[in-house]
Amino acid sequence: MPPVSIVQVHDPRVRWGVRASGVVRIIPATEWTTPAVDALAALGALPWTGARTRRVIVVRGARGREVALLAAGPIDIADVDPASVLALPAQLADRAPQIAAIIVAPDASLSLLLELAAVITPDDIVVGEELCQSRS
Amino acid sequence: MRSLVPITIDATWVAVDMASVREIGGPLTWIALPTASASLPGVAAWRGRAVAVTDLAAVLGAGERLASPAGRLRTLYMQFGASTLAVPVDSVREPLVVPDDDVRQARIRTETFCIGEVDVEGHTTLVVDLGVLLDSYRPAVAGVPY
Repeated sequence: MPPVSIVQVHDPRVRWGVRASGVVRIIPATEWTTPAVDALAALGALPWTGARTRRVIVVRGARGREVALLAAGPIDIADVDPASVLALPAQLADRAPQIAAIIVAPDASLSLLLELAAVITPDDIVVGEELCQSRS
Repeated sequence: MRSLVPITIDATWVAVDMASVREIGGPLTWIALPTASASLPGVAAWRGRAVAVTDLAAVLGAGERLASPAGRLRTLYMQFGASTLAVPVDSVREPLVVPDDDVRQARIRTETFCIGEVDVEGHTTLVVDLGVLLDSYRPAVAGVPY
């Protein structure tokens, strides 16, 4: 099987990533004018309160809308052996639909692979935008 | 007769059914899931798949909680039906076989996972069935490679 390309964020809270196929672009945070989504905080982790982030990962969200994920740490792009991408055990997967799998790195460290469709929900749309669309 | 594997978490002695133990390994590397519970706080990789990690300190309410990514000195890998649990512990004692009558009703704990008490090396040791912890999760299917 071909390797899986993952955009990984070395977040001090926990290393996480998303499939590169779902990433539109990676840009400096200063170029993104609306608030970026703290994906880990959306999962229940403590919100990022550390140093100002330098980059955001722009992904395609609900209805094709672009959404920026806050990158609270260095970013890299890795080609991962599919055998190193392990689905969560069923008893935890049911309670964590936002987490697609864990990734085992060559040094045996682990990271989370986020499920973009679950992290980027219609709720991420800026308040008021949904209302305007439904009236048009 | 019952075959038990005594283990310790800090100063707490616990025994599990030897039939459920698949492997005894060294320190575990695991990752916490933000959405997980205190008793099953995260996952680890084992034999090419992800397995749930059980924090016995959280289950028992005794001892220092696990902190990702470090585990404890030893890890028990236990099988309950289609589910596998990785259980970090401080020590694993020599397995023992005891007559059923030597396992008395648990007096020190009353939770459903506590199925009895037995004396091991002079310590009152709680016999636990960690499979009970999985009952509330009720997996629909076993975890499979992604």
